[in-house]
Amino acid sequence: MNARRIAIVAKKELFGLSSEKTIVFAILLQVFIAMFSSFLMVGLTAMYDPEAIEGYSTVTYGVGYAGAESPLIDEFAKRDDLVLHRMDLDAALAALRDRTVAAVVYIPDTPPDAKEPVMVTLYLIQNDLQSSVINVKLKEVLQGYEKELREVRADRMTTFPVGLDFPESGGGENFFEFVYGLLIPLLVLLPAIVSAALIIDLITEEYQRQTLETLISTPVTLAEMVWGKIAACEVLVPVQAGVWLLLLGFNGIAVDNTAAILLHASVGGLSLILISALVALYYRERTSAQFIFSTALVVVFLLIMAVPYNPLNLMVRLAVGTAGPVHWLILALVAGVTVLLGWTATTYARRIEKITQVAR
Amino acid sequence: MSLASSILTIAVWEMNRSMTTMGRNVLPLAAGLLILLGLVTAFAAQSGVHMQDGMYSIGINDPDVARIVAPDSRFAVYLDDRAALRESRLAYDIVILNGEVYAADTDKGRAALKTLERDYEAYVSHVAAGEPDLFAAYPLWIDLQYVKSEIDFLATQNGQQVGAPAGVRVPPTPSGPVEVVTLPPSAMPISEDDLRKHLEAGSGHPLERYTGIVTGDSAMGQFRTPSELSAPLPFDAIILVFVFIFPLYFTSQFFMMSVMNERVGRAGEALLSTPVRPTAIIVGKALPYFTIMLLIATAITLFAGAPATILLPLIPVILFFLANALIIGMAARSFKELSFVSIFFSTLATSYLFFPTVFANTHIISIISPLTLVVLDIQGDGFTVMQYVYSTVLFFATSIILFYAGTVNFREERLFSEKTLASRLVDFISGGIGRGHPHFSLFLLAAFTIPFVFMVQMLALVLFFNIPMPLSLILLTVSAAFIEEFAKSIGLYAVARERPGFLTAKNLLLGAVAIGLGFLAGEKLLLFATLAQITESIFGSILFLSLQVLWMPLLLHIAGVLVTGGFLLLWGRRAYGPGLVVASAVHSLYNLHFLSGALL
Repeated sequence: MNARRIAIVAKKELFGLSSEKTIVFAILLQVFIAMFSSFLMVGLTAMYDPEAIEGYSTVTYGVGYAGAESPLIDEFAKRDDLVLHRMDLDAALAALRDRTVAAVVYIPDTPPDAKEPVMVTLYLIQNDLQSSVINVKLKEVLQGYEKELREVRADRMTTFPVGLDFPESGGGENFFEFVYGLLIPLLVLLPAIVSAALIIDLITEEYQRQTLETLISTPVTLAEMVWGKIAACEVLVPVQAGVWLLLLGFNGIAVDNTAAILLHASVGGLSLILISALVALYYRERTSAQFIFSTALVVVFLLIMAVPYNPLNLMVRLAVGTAGPVHWLILALVAGVTVLLGWTATTYARRIEKITQVAR
Repeated sequence: MSLASSILTIAVWEMNRSMTTMGRNVLPLAAGLLILLGLVTAFAAQSGVHMQDGMYSIGINDPDVARIVAPDSRFAVYLDDRAALRESRLAYDIVILNGEVYAADTDKGRAALKTLERDYEAYVSHVAAGEPDLFAAYPLWIDLQYVKSEIDFLATQNGQQVGAPAGVRVPPTPSGPVEVVTLPPSAMPISEDDLRKHLEAGSGHPLERYTGIVTGDSAMGQFRTPSELSAPLPFDAIILVFVFIFPLYFTSQFFMMSVMNERVGRAGEALLSTPVRPTAIIVGKALPYFTIMLLIATAITLFAGAPATILLPLIPVILFFLANALIIGMAARSFKELSFVSIFFSTLATSYLFFPTVFANTHIISIISPLTLVVLDIQGDGFTVMQYVYSTVLFFATSIILFYAGTVNFREERLFSEKTLASRLVDFISGGIGRGHPHFSLFLLAAFTIPFVFMVQMLALVLFFNIPMPLSLILLTVSAAFIEEFAKSIGLYAVARERPGFLTAKNLLLGAVAIGLGFLAGEKLLLFATLAQITESIFGSILFLSLQVLWMPLLLHIAGVLVTGGFLLLWGRRAYGPGLVVASAVHSLYNLHFLSGALL
């Protein structure tokens, strides 16, 4: 194996990427996603944790109240973002349909210390963003009411939970867990997957266009050619992941241990690239190779996620600064697997070459 | 050979070929991977997801409290005595001393606190569920009822607030007639045992809620305790995207690859030399994939227990994917270009399908996506024929036009040329312009671009919908003008490139008139058929300003083409960009003038 020849092949592939302007599409895509970013941010956070949505609203909401008197009225009075309107149920529901109130509660005349539960009926507008916000606010009010009712019925209870005293949390939006626990590892993983898919294209194309024979007739060996392509794809992994982290930094999301995260991404990405290079060398045809690779990717991904201290988890820990030195051990382990895969790919490429030479 | 029989021959041939190439090598390994997938899923289900392990550190001096936190792997728990914890409290996100919780004043500390609060809630629920008197532990139950309310496009324009009015102390009076409703019952209709079972099952990680959406687990119906009250998901539709759209997109990749394979190494030459018409080749090749995609969609529908009618809005989506797969497969120069372009296309298509559905039930604009019909149908609301036409006509129209463009260009000199992506696409367009009657072709071409223009404008409309009013109007005006000018000039540009001699002053004038007429005709045809509701709003009036007076927009369309064409004629093809900018500026000014007239 000759490092200079590998570099030549890698340079040729990178040049091909930029001359074909395919990279323009990748940039366009990122810009396009960035255009939606505020929407995505709100949307995705809300998907991960619907209660975070409450933080976006500073509006006061009207709530229709129908039925019997109850301590719930006092609970509402404690809040300045909810205004209670005493109405008839019919009128309240009509007002809800007009969107002049945001929710309606109906309280039955069950006494607080009754044997049966108090059944409150809560009316909301279906599948509406505003309903999500009001839902979170009402939940807090209703939990206050529940606490009060529990105190009234406390003498009927037998066991009591360990008490914890929480400080005033202040509520509001909190992207932290979503951004650091989900978004960052996925954004860092994405370039590795793209590169792994790219190497399938690069290798199978040589076979399907029958340009391989011309290449092999030069001093470049098959193994060197494959490693050149692997190098070209591998270079893209830390660059793209770094750009994502940089963009996050611009948005005020500080990520700890950037270098270590990129190192994990590069090593993990290299092993993915090697797996897909092996698949591509075996099938020599894009459709089959991509199909098998994407299925294998799901399996590998699920397996990794189910193991404690997996590389993705380490990226999360690194990003929030709670990773101990143990992450170097895992990195060494992944690097070991990668070296093994690299050795397999090299031997396999050499064997293929020998077989084709014999065949000739 | 008749068309039908040759289509059938090609379809069978395509089926056999892909089955043999895929079958021999891929199926054994794929089967092995599927078994592995099953094993891994079982392992993952048992072991849990370990992505967020140890995100937060928590210091506790009471082993009983530590047991509350222990099941949540997000916390790394450190047990220590009071003095030591006090000493090193800055190293922890949360410290709990004798039942008193202290959180670090950072984003991370607040996030940890929120997670801890939820864990504590779950723990309290768990303890309470074991109580002999369930209704002492859970004295309050909530019966959640949803009410439908749809705002129309004119609501914001008329000054009606989408949200409830703020700060009003007087009870509102309903505007419409008040229906009499029966008061809800005060007794709990579900047995105590069932409630207890339900409570013990509990809820776990925030992501778990999504697993139940498609299959639906509602033994409990709408009854819940206050702490179980979780915000309704405004974004359920994304799950539908994954469940329905993604498998369809994935299958269309095989068609894209099959088209690409015909071109690699001129493999399709033999096929082209047979007397079979290109139409038959394309339809025959697409037919197996269409059938497979339909079968997949049916299988998912049956599996999810959704009504069969949701297949109707999925058919145009399938056609749209296949049509785009055809064009991308015919245009890409290399495999990597194929990958990138198809990823780019899938992102655009997914946004177009997904974003409007966020407003399902609240806004009429959501119906521009067929996926909204799927959402409505799954909710049990169904959709009308008019809504179906309205949301699918663009998909049908663009698919048909793309398939037509594919058929016209399915020829040797187009398929096997080694040009860049952009110039191949221009080739495809000029391929549709006949030499004998170029002006008539330009007329038709302009009319054919209309569905695409509408689609892009719709996407822009959805995109700018969230931006505050004056800015969104201006952005929409400018982008709408640019999109239209681009679409109108593309035919002229293609002709000028292929036949530079064609572009004379006389031909330019004739061509501009033809394009202007075609554009107007296409616009009106599509508008009158479907989009009446959107055109009534202020947003609609920018996009479809031309409906009011007929000769003014015609002149505008012609003038726009003349500006771009004039640049092309005078300064050659390099001036195309600047010409387009000037034409868009003229167009925007015209729109803004009319708009301000409408606003004042």
